[in-house]
Parts: sequence; C-alpha cells; structure tokens
Amino acid sequence: MIEIKKLTKTFGSLVAVDHLDLFIGAGDIFGFIGPNGAGKTTTMRILVTLLEPTYGAAFIDGLDVGKKGKEVRRRVGYMPDFMGVYDDLKVFEYLEFFAAAFGIEYAKRKAIVDGVLELTDLVSKQDALVDSLSRGMQQRLGLARVLIHDPKVLILDEPASGLDPRARIEMRELLRELKRMGKTIMISSHILSELEEICDRIGIIEHGKLVFSGTLEEIRPRLGLQSKVRVKVLGEGIRAMELLSVLPQIQSVEVMASQPSSSGLSGEGPGSTLLVTFKEGQMADGLIARTLVNGGVDLLSLQPEQLKLDDAFLQLTKGIVH
Amino acid sequence: MKNMMDLETTSLRWRWWAASLLPRLAGPIFDKEMRVSSRRRRNYVLRFLYIGLFTFLASVVWLDSLVRSTSSVYQASRMAAAGQTIVTAILWFQFLTAPAIAAVMLSTSISDEIYKRTLGVLMTTPIGSFQIVIGKLMSRLLQIVLLLAISLPLLAVVRVFGGVPWSFLLCGLCVTLTTVIFVGSLSLFFSIFTRQAYAAIIETVLAMGFLFGGIPVLLAFLTDKVVSPPTLMRWLSYFNPFVVMGAAMEALYMARPAVVAWPLHCAVMLGLSALLLLLATILVRRAALRQAGGIVDANRGTNPPSTIRRVQGPPVLWKERRAPLFGRRKLRRVAEIVSGVVILGLLLLTYGLCYRANLLRDTETHVMYGVVFFSVGVLFTVILPATCITTEKESQTWPLLLTTTVSNWEILWSKFAGAARRCLPAWVLLFAHTLVFMGPGTIHPIAVVHLALLVAWVVFFLTSTGLYFSTRLRHTTTAVIANVGLAAGLWAVFPLFLAIFLGVMTKTSTGVIETYMDLNPFVHAGVIVNAAAHRGGLGTYDWLQRGMGSLSDATCWMALTFAVYVSVGLVFLTRAAARLRNNPF
Repeated sequence: MIEIKKLTKTFGSLVAVDHLDLFIGAGDIFGFIGPNGAGKTTTMRILVTLLEPTYGAAFIDGLDVGKKGKEVRRRVGYMPDFMGVYDDLKVFEYLEFFAAAFGIEYAKRKAIVDGVLELTDLVSKQDALVDSLSRGMQQRLGLARVLIHDPKVLILDEPASGLDPRARIEMRELLRELKRMGKTIMISSHILSELEEICDRIGIIEHGKLVFSGTLEEIRPRLGLQSKVRVKVLGEGIRAMELLSVLPQIQSVEVMASQPSSSGLSGEGPGSTLLVTFKEGQMADGLIARTLVNGGVDLLSLQPEQLKLDDAFLQLTKGIVH
Repeated sequence: MKNMMDLETTSLRWRWWAASLLPRLAGPIFDKEMRVSSRRRRNYVLRFLYIGLFTFLASVVWLDSLVRSTSSVYQASRMAAAGQTIVTAILWFQFLTAPAIAAVMLSTSISDEIYKRTLGVLMTTPIGSFQIVIGKLMSRLLQIVLLLAISLPLLAVVRVFGGVPWSFLLCGLCVTLTTVIFVGSLSLFFSIFTRQAYAAIIETVLAMGFLFGGIPVLLAFLTDKVVSPPTLMRWLSYFNPFVVMGAAMEALYMARPAVVAWPLHCAVMLGLSALLLLLATILVRRAALRQAGGIVDANRGTNPPSTIRRVQGPPVLWKERRAPLFGRRKLRRVAEIVSGVVILGLLLLTYGLCYRANLLRDTETHVMYGVVFFSVGVLFTVILPATCITTEKESQTWPLLLTTTVSNWEILWSKFAGAARRCLPAWVLLFAHTLVFMGPGTIHPIAVVHLALLVAWVVFFLTSTGLYFSTRLRHTTTAVIANVGLAAGLWAVFPLFLAIFLGVMTKTSTGVIETYMDLNPFVHAGVIVNAAAHRGGLGTYDWLQRGMGSLSDATCWMALTFAVYVSVGLVFLTRAAARLRNNPF
C-alpha cells in the first residue's frame, strides 16, 4: 500500500531523509520510530504531498506522490503532530468543511459527519467551538477529520502526544477499530509501549536512514540477542542450576537474588530465580520444565524474557539528531 | 585624607548606582531582548534600509544645495544656506522615519509574549510587570537611538558651514527623541490588546492621526472666533511635535527666536509617555494573570451556542464568507462599534463645520474628502489580503487545507474573494460621499463610474500582491509590512526620490515623473474628484503631464492604467498560485 524507494529530502546542506526504502502492506499498522529530528515527520509530509522529495519516489496505492498529488490526497488521511484548528468553527462545521474540501456531496455530508462523530465519540461536542475543546478531544477531532473522506491510508504523526492515560487507551482502541475496518495505518510516536501493543510492524529511523524494519520478533536476531527464560524454583536453586547447565541447548544459567516465596505459604521456604540463556537460535521452554520436574525440583514459574521496544530502540539508535 | 577617601567612595558608589540603573529598571527582560534582537535579520535589514535612504537623501540634498558655476567667494557665502537645507532635510527625515520605526518595532512587544504564552510564565518569576514594560521599551528604543546617532557626525560637520544654531539642532533631536518615546509607548500599549502586530501598528497610526492631525484641525475650526492663531499654535505646541518642528524650522529660516518652548513640549511628551507606560504596566499584569489563569479560554468555552451553519458552495469561499467583518469577541466588537460611532460623529462634525464655513460647494473640500476616504480604502485593502494565508500558517491549519483535494486556484480565488469582501466596507465612505453630493449636483455622476474603475483595479492589484506576500512569507506582520512597503514604495517613496534625483540631475522637467505620477491611484482620485466637483458642471481633468483633459481622453488614460495594474496583479496572482504549496509550514 505504501512503498518508498530511495527517498531523499535535503534542506540546504541538511539531509533530513537519506535514501529511505520502506514497504507497508495493505491493512498493516506500521509504527514509525526514531529520535527527535530523525526524519519521521519529513517522510510523512512527503507521503501526504506537503513536501516534494529531493530524490527518490514514494507510492501510495500505486500512485506516485510527487506526480499524482490530488489522487494521493484522496486516498490519504493525514494527522500532523500539532493539529491546527479554525478557532471560529464548531466541531460539526469543522468536519463538514473538510468533507466539502474533499469534494463530498452536500446531501451525503451530514450522514458522514454524524458517522465519524459517533466513531470518535464526539457527538456530544458537535456544537462546541473547536478551540474550546481539551487536548484529548482535539486529538479525537483530528482523527475524525482524517476519517471524513474514508481514506485507505492513515498517516498519523504522534497522535497520542499530550494525552492522558485514559485518552491514550481510547486512542489505541480507536486505532484497533480502524485496523478492523481495513485501513492501512502509519503511525509515529515517542511512547514506544503504545506502538508495541498495536503495531504489526515497526520501522526505526535515525539520521534520515532506516535502521530496522520488520516485526518485533524479527528484531531479536537483528540485534544478535539470544532468548532468555526466567525460571523460579522453590528452595536454593543449586540443584536446578546443576540440571540445566548440562543441557546442550543452554549457554548459561545465572542465579539471581533469592526472594521469599510468592505464595506466602508456611513451610515452603524462600524461592530462587534463575536466568537461563539459550544458545543463538535455540529456545525450548518445555525442555526446561521437563528437566526440572524429572530432576525433582519444585518449579514455581517459567517466564520467557520479552524484548521491549524501548530496549530495541535504544540498542538500534545512537541518539544522533540533526 | 579621610574626606578625600569618603568623597571617592561616594563618587564610585554614585557611578555604580547610575550604571546599574537601567538594568535594575528593566531587569533581565532588557538583557534578553538585546540578545534576541542581535539575532533577528529584520533588524539588520531595517538598519541597512535606514542608512541607505539616509545616505541617498543626504547626497541628493547636498548635490542640490551646491552652487557650482559661480566664484568661490560666492560659493563660500552660500555655504550657510546649504548647511541649513541639509540640516533641515536630515532632521525632518529623522523626525518622520524614527517614530514610524518605533511604531513597527514596539508593535510586537507584548503581543508576542501573549501569543507565545510566555507572559504568564514571566509572572511566576520575580520580574515585575513594570520591568517587562520598561525592558521591552528600552531595548527597542536603544536601537532607534543608535540610528539617530548615525546622523550626529554629519550634523556636526555641516554645522561648521554656519547658519545653524546649536539650539535648533538640539530642539530637532530632542523633539524627535520624545516623539519616538511617545509613539513607541503607544505602540506597546496597543500591543497588549492585539495578537497581530499589524493591528497594533494601524491603531498607533490612527491614534497619531487623531492626536496630531484630527485634534488640531477640530480646534482650529472650533476656536477660530475665540482664540488667535498664535495662541492656538502655542497650545498645540505643548503636545504636537509637528507644530514644534514647523515652528522651529520657521524660526531658523526667518532668523528669529522660536515662538514655542520646545523643552516644555518634550516634558509634556515624556509625561504622556510615562502615563501610557503606567497604564501598560497595570494592563500587562492583568493580561498575564488572565493568561496564567486561563480566564480567556474559559470564557470562550462558555459562550452560548449559536446554530450550526451548513457548508454550502466552495468550502474555502464559505469559510472566508463566514469570517466576521467585525471582531468575534464581544468586548472587541463593542470597542470597534464604539470607535466607529465616534469616528462617524467626528466626520459629521467636519461636515457641519464645512457647511457653517460655506465650504461644501468648494472643489478643494471634495478633493480633500475624496483623497482621505480613498486613503482609508487603500489602507484596509493593503492590509487585509496580506493576512489571508499567513494567519492559516500561524494557526497551523494551512497544511490541513493543502492535504485536501481543493485545487490551488480554488483556494486562491476563494481567498481573493474573501479578502475583497472584507475590504469593501472601507470603500463605503468614498462612494457614500460621492453619491450624497451627486444628489444636489455638487459632484458629477461620471465620478461614480471613474471611481468604481479606480477602486476596482486598486482592489485587484493590492489583493493580488497581498496574496502573493501571504503565500511567500510565514508571518502575518511581515506579509503586511511587505505589502504596505510595496504600495508605499511604488506610489510614494519611489516617485519622491525619482523627482529629487531627476530634479538634481537635469534641473528641468523631463515629463517622466509626471507620467509616472499620473499612474498613481491617489493622483487619479484627486483628478477625478477635482473634475467632477467643479463648479458649473464637469471640469477638465488636470493630469500632471498636461493634456488628456477631456472626458474621453481621461477615461482612456484610466482604462490604460486599469489594464497595466490588472496585468501586473495577474502576474502576482499567478506567482502566488505557483508558490501556494511551497513552504507550507
């Protein structure tokens, strides 16, 4: 749905986007991550025809954004990082204005505006002046505006910035709903945990270059990270360590600090936590459980270590900004 | 010895106190403003322009004052007169330009802080509102004082020729300086109430026009039977710098002592400035507290809801049509209506005075009204179109509009129509005056046709250039200044300098300047009304280049001017359309 080929954008001597290649499939939610000044917003602005690329090309639904601007705009809904509002318009009027701007017929507009107001839960605010809305409400209105012409692609530049936790959760739910409606969504955010939960794929950009693109699972081998499992056993954990260390799939076993038993039952004694690191490309949770149970160790829990998006982001980027 | 040491310590203390007075008065704001101003390109451009104009004027006046073809004894004897001319020209140049620069520079002083929401933050620091006001004023005035100081060496050198007493120089400089302080204070005061700098500039200009132009004219009319002209002049001289400068100039050329006491005038102007600054201090604090407490937004949110209006026709045009001709906020709307009523009342008073003096049948009276009303129309038309797109850029709605499927030309024509619509009320006065006096036959009906033609091209041209600058530039104030600068350059500064230059170089009329001036819309307005308000029917059209006095010839010339300006306007409009999507942020 979105294809970017060798996209480059320079502002004088500053290279904002540097030979960027990217592909986002139809119906995907793609998280676009990078430090401030990495080139995320510039890339998005090129995709929505606000900027022209210096070199390279970008295609949306097979249309060249540099050459077929009007057709591209018909297919794309763009929400900028800072949403400007016409301070003398009401919510309904604001949305109808953009409906008219996208060439929607007068007879159909009311139904469409009512529909997006309902979807974004703004029906009760339709008579309010746009600039009297709270930040969260304005963001919702921005999303409503983006949906007014039913675009195939949504490009959202930090839609959750400045929102409180409740509004963020609501925004996340709304995005999931849009995915169910079949929209392709490109979303940038600094709140990485937000993206982790909703994105199918992510792209990490730094210094105008894409340093990674793929699923979260694909990041692990890219970073040369081995799988780890956190194992909690009853007692000292020495026996468990002996049993696991000899397994050929396991590279190392470390005893982490002993903790009191979480169950709190008397007579259980303190529990121990072991961090088991598999050799690269190896992962066998079942083997650990079988080995420990057969060896007579009381296994309390077994939890694979998750690679957090924050960790991947920190490891892949150097914090270089323009 | 101890006394000596005590004296030295006291002297040091005094010097330290004096040196730290300004920073203590103005606080960190002064320091911050000085740093920021050194990084602003527009300040350097302003200085460059000022010095360029100053040098050009000084050179031209110098060349014009030189006596070339006579004996050296005669030349030496004429140097005093040359010195007088040069000093007079420089002082008038400074007197007219420095207050204008002050009005522009101070117009953003408080509004910037309000717009960027930093005023409320400042109030959470130990900085007081007095320090904010004084810091802003002093930092910007300092730059104007530097510009004034540029002329001092030249003035000192020219004084060697003789003929110019020190008192005259001192009077000119002090009156200019106090006028600058007053105008700067006025601009700062208005900047508390408006978000846009151009609005503060216009309000300052109108206030100055009323104070220094309107009041003297009214006083002259109202007191002509009671007060003698010298007494009236003395009264006016206390608060009118133009009167003081005029009187000082007259005294210089007539070689007699000045009739007005300029030190008293300077003291009055400083007192008025202090009063304005005191008011500004109080109001700045209120504005800051209002911002910090969010009272403005709260009021805005609780406005009673009116009906929702459906979007009909082209959306951008609908939006432009919807924009109110008067302010949306209740207080502002009331203030504007009250101001309108006051202005209208004063206008009717002038008509009444003219009627009493039996001047309403005089051609000159109608030419004066025609040109004044025409100027009001031009003022609005030169400003409003330049704000159309930059205001959208400033409120960050411009990128949203550009990502819709509305075409460039549709956006541009809608903006054009919206701007023209907002300008129309400003032209009502001109046509109302013409129509009212057409009834009793004082003004010939053809004036309506000619004025309509004139207004049409003026609106088209200025709206096109305004839209061009609005697409090209990022800030509303810069776009407005650019459009005003273009109009002023084209119709005032360029012909003035061309006339001076040609006058110096050729000493005879070449006809170039006259032809150029006959393309000037103000000349058109004057010529049209002059011919139409002629006693005993339609008179001849007195163009500067002579000829074309008949109705058909004059109409042809007007049509030709129309074609020239509309063509140039179309070029600007085409460029605006081409640039519409460049630099949308």
